Amino acid sequence: MASARFPIPQGTLDMLILHVLSLEPAHGYAIAQRVQQISRETVRVNQGSLYPALHRLEQKRWLKSEWHQSETGREAKFYTLTRPGHQQLAREKASWDQLTAAVRLIFNEGTQA
Amino acid sequence: MTRLLNLFRRRRDRLERDLDRELRYHMDRRVEDLIKDGLREPEARRQASIEFGGVAQVQEAVRDTWIWRWLDALRGDVRYAMRSLTKSWGFTVGAGAVLALAIGANSAIFSVVNTVLLQPLAYPDAERLVSIETLWINTGRSSQDVSGPDFLDWQAQSDVFEKMALSFSNADEAIFLGDRAVFGNGGYVSADFFAVFGQVPSVGRLLTERDVPADDDAQATAAVVAYHWAVAHFGSDKAAIGKTITVYGNATEIVGVAAPGFRYPGATDIWTPMRPTNHAPNRSDHPYQAVGRLKGNADLTRAQAQMRTIGDTLARRYPENRLKRVTVIPLQERLTGNLQATLWVLMSAVGVVWLIGCANIANLLLARAAGRTREIALRAALGAGRGRVVRQLLTESCVLAGVAGLAGFLLASMLVQALAALAPVNLPRIDEVRMDRPVLVFALGLSLVSTVLFGLVPALHGSRLSLSGALKHGGSKATGTRASARLRSALVVAEVALSVILLVTAGLLLRSFQTLQHVDLGFTKDRVLVADTVYAVRDGVREDLWSRSRFYADVLERLRAVPGVSAASGVAFLGMGREPRSPRDFFIQGRPEGRAGERPQAELHAITADYFKTLEIPVRAGRDFDRTDTPERPQVAIINETMARTAFPGEAALGQRIRQNSRAPWMEIVGVVADTRWQDPSQPSRPVVYAASTQGTGNSLAILARTSLDDQSIARTLRTLMHEANPTVPVKFETMEALFDSTLAYPRFRTQVIGLFAGVAALLAAVGVFSVLAYLVGQRTREFAVRRALGAGAGDVIGLIVGQGLRLVAIGLVLGLASALAVARLLTGLLYEISPWDVGTYLGTIAVLGSAALLATLFPAIRAATIAPGTVLQEE
Repeated sequence: MASARFPIPQGTLDMLILHVLSLEPAHGYAIAQRVQQISRETVRVNQGSLYPALHRLEQKRWLKSEWHQSETGREAKFYTLTRPGHQQLAREKASWDQLTAAVRLIFNEGTQA
Repeated sequence: MTRLLNLFRRRRDRLERDLDRELRYHMDRRVEDLIKDGLREPEARRQASIEFGGVAQVQEAVRDTWIWRWLDALRGDVRYAMRSLTKSWGFTVGAGAVLALAIGANSAIFSVVNTVLLQPLAYPDAERLVSIETLWINTGRSSQDVSGPDFLDWQAQSDVFEKMALSFSNADEAIFLGDRAVFGNGGYVSADFFAVFGQVPSVGRLLTERDVPADDDAQATAAVVAYHWAVAHFGSDKAAIGKTITVYGNATEIVGVAAPGFRYPGATDIWTPMRPTNHAPNRSDHPYQAVGRLKGNADLTRAQAQMRTIGDTLARRYPENRLKRVTVIPLQERLTGNLQATLWVLMSAVGVVWLIGCANIANLLLARAAGRTREIALRAALGAGRGRVVRQLLTESCVLAGVAGLAGFLLASMLVQALAALAPVNLPRIDEVRMDRPVLVFALGLSLVSTVLFGLVPALHGSRLSLSGALKHGGSKATGTRASARLRSALVVAEVALSVILLVTAGLLLRSFQTLQHVDLGFTKDRVLVADTVYAVRDGVREDLWSRSRFYADVLERLRAVPGVSAASGVAFLGMGREPRSPRDFFIQGRPEGRAGERPQAELHAITADYFKTLEIPVRAGRDFDRTDTPERPQVAIINETMARTAFPGEAALGQRIRQNSRAPWMEIVGVVADTRWQDPSQPSRPVVYAASTQGTGNSLAILARTSLDDQSIARTLRTLMHEANPTVPVKFETMEALFDSTLAYPRFRTQVIGLFAGVAALLAAVGVFSVLAYLVGQRTREFAVRRALGAGAGDVIGLIVGQGLRLVAIGLVLGLASALAVARLLTGLLYEISPWDVGTYLGTIAVLGSAALLATLFPAIRAATIAPGTVLQEE
């Protein structure tokens, strides 16, 4: 499925990052790996958008970051979801659900017609 | 400021380091994973960096998020600042006006100081230009006047100068262009003159060695004219080339036009080449000025040392040089030296005004910050950090300072024009003064400094508030902390003290100026018309000399017949407002000749009969000149009382004989007249010898007429009269009154500007007192209401407030007077017959500031007294 990998829109990436971090704190590389794994390699995370997104989210105070030892023993920058971040994730999920439901409705309408 | 910047820089560096580490970690992990997947290391590295894309791009994208965040916050702050500033527009307009005024005045004065004192002269490598001067060891003073033979010796014996040149200037010569004559300032210069100044011509060529007349009898044939003069008389610089101009009957061809703006020495219009005279007797004649360009490897100290040695050698060799040495002074210092006092006084004054303005603003902002306690406490309660609040308040000050800086700059541009108009016309380079980039930087720098000064203090102050305290107290009328009240009082005291210094300075200058204005000149200056004329003659041509004498005799004769003219006369040297004339030696019959420097010295003035009558100078003994004093009759002289006293102590001066040198004819003293201050009202009279212009070869004369007619009509009559006698003689009209005024130009300029600043300072100080007390009344409304309710009279409340205000003012006055006493000593050089510790001035200052302060305390006091206890207490 390597050819089906596609970059994802920015708003969606923000949401995915928040989601991944809602499971547990992680560093940038782990976030990218996890998104790829969970989506069964469908979603490809581009470093060029991952890190700016992380910094932007941190500045919005949805994430906070800390340096501590990673699984390999080296120091890595770990991001954690904050309380406002959890709220934001809930909001985004809700609106995503609404949007996808709406899109599905429209598609179904199309096939019925 | 630097600390703030450093803080900023350190923070940025840490962010960069973090980002770097973060991205490197990502890369390394990817490489490790790829190796685990079976790739070899170099291959894995290549693969990882392809996947990653450019590290630099990623970094750049991340940095963008930082900047956006910063800009976002800034925009928010600015918007908030604007909103809160427009909400309290009274405060904004007041503070902005005070600040704009302070910045505007500072920038304007700085523009003048910058151009006149700080900017190098507008010549190439101007810092290497020096004035080489005669140092008189009997007075210890150096004079620009040098003698020809001295200069030639200096030139032969020194090696520190790349080029040296001599010049002398002769203002207001009659220059003939075809058949009409105009006034022009003549400059006579030696061969290397233009080379010394590194000048290139606008068109044509400049004067060189081959233009210099071959010997003393030869005449110059080439001339260079100033750019503005060429444009004024020929339409353009190019049109002037090849034209003939005649000066003193000597026709010269214009071979070049100097670069625009070049006028040295003085305000020269026409330069003609000359050969310095090298005759031995001329060693005691000092008509020239010497300039030189230092060699690249020679500094001023070396040049001075060498010229000192040369001066010593010449003093040993020539008796005339016994009292003379040589000194070297940077040309810039020579040209601006005597202005430095005036301009630095202005600069300090305006600096003081600025300080007062800042204290005022700080006070206003402090009061405001205290009034906003609740707002700030609320923001803090809602989660704004202390840094955030400080930044918020600082942004507000910045916005205010930015707007005020702009307004100040506009104000300064207007003030510069006003200053240029107000300044003495001979203030060097005043025409070059304009607002330029350094001044813009200065204005912006000032507003920035003001921002930090007055923005930071209230900001820190305002954020150091206890939340619960502020919220508990409710209303916007929460009491400011004790510390902030003390700070505000201290600011008011400082304002008062600073304005005392300025008021004392202004007072002293004003009293000195008034004294100067009413100094007894020894003659009556009003109702005298002065017509300055030049009758050009060819050197040594008898007919010319004769026709000149006849011209003046004729004009004066007819002028005296004009109804309304009570007296008319002529004088060769118009003293008032001109450069002082150097005195010359006189020999007295029957006394040993003595050595140079030991003989009596006096200024020599050639005048016509009725000069004393025209100016109403009392004749103490003997007679005035009259029509019998012709060249054929024995030479006569009239001396002033100072000359009589110094040259003939204890004996009668009348009947004595004097002469100027051993070949000159003896002149019999036929009259003694009262002393006059003919040149500079601040200088006491020097010894003067008057000679009858009708007995010598004659001179061009300034015609003086005492008249009851108005200036315009007598000027018209005189012009017609002169035109009929000779249409080619140019004439300029002035009144003695105006000439006198021009001698007071600098004192007047100083007095006006300092007086203005002192007024502004006093006003600002009064506003400061007012704002602090008004604020205080606002804060304590409830307290006063309670007092009134408990039976305190209106007078008690007024007394309370006024007392509080006057206590501050009194402390300020004491501190200010003490500093003023110390500062005033520095003014001694600028004061005329007024002690820097003039009691009247100090009392006046106390009266002015005291009454302004009293007025400022009264308004808030009356407001406090009219508080209706019922309403206020009900509100609470």
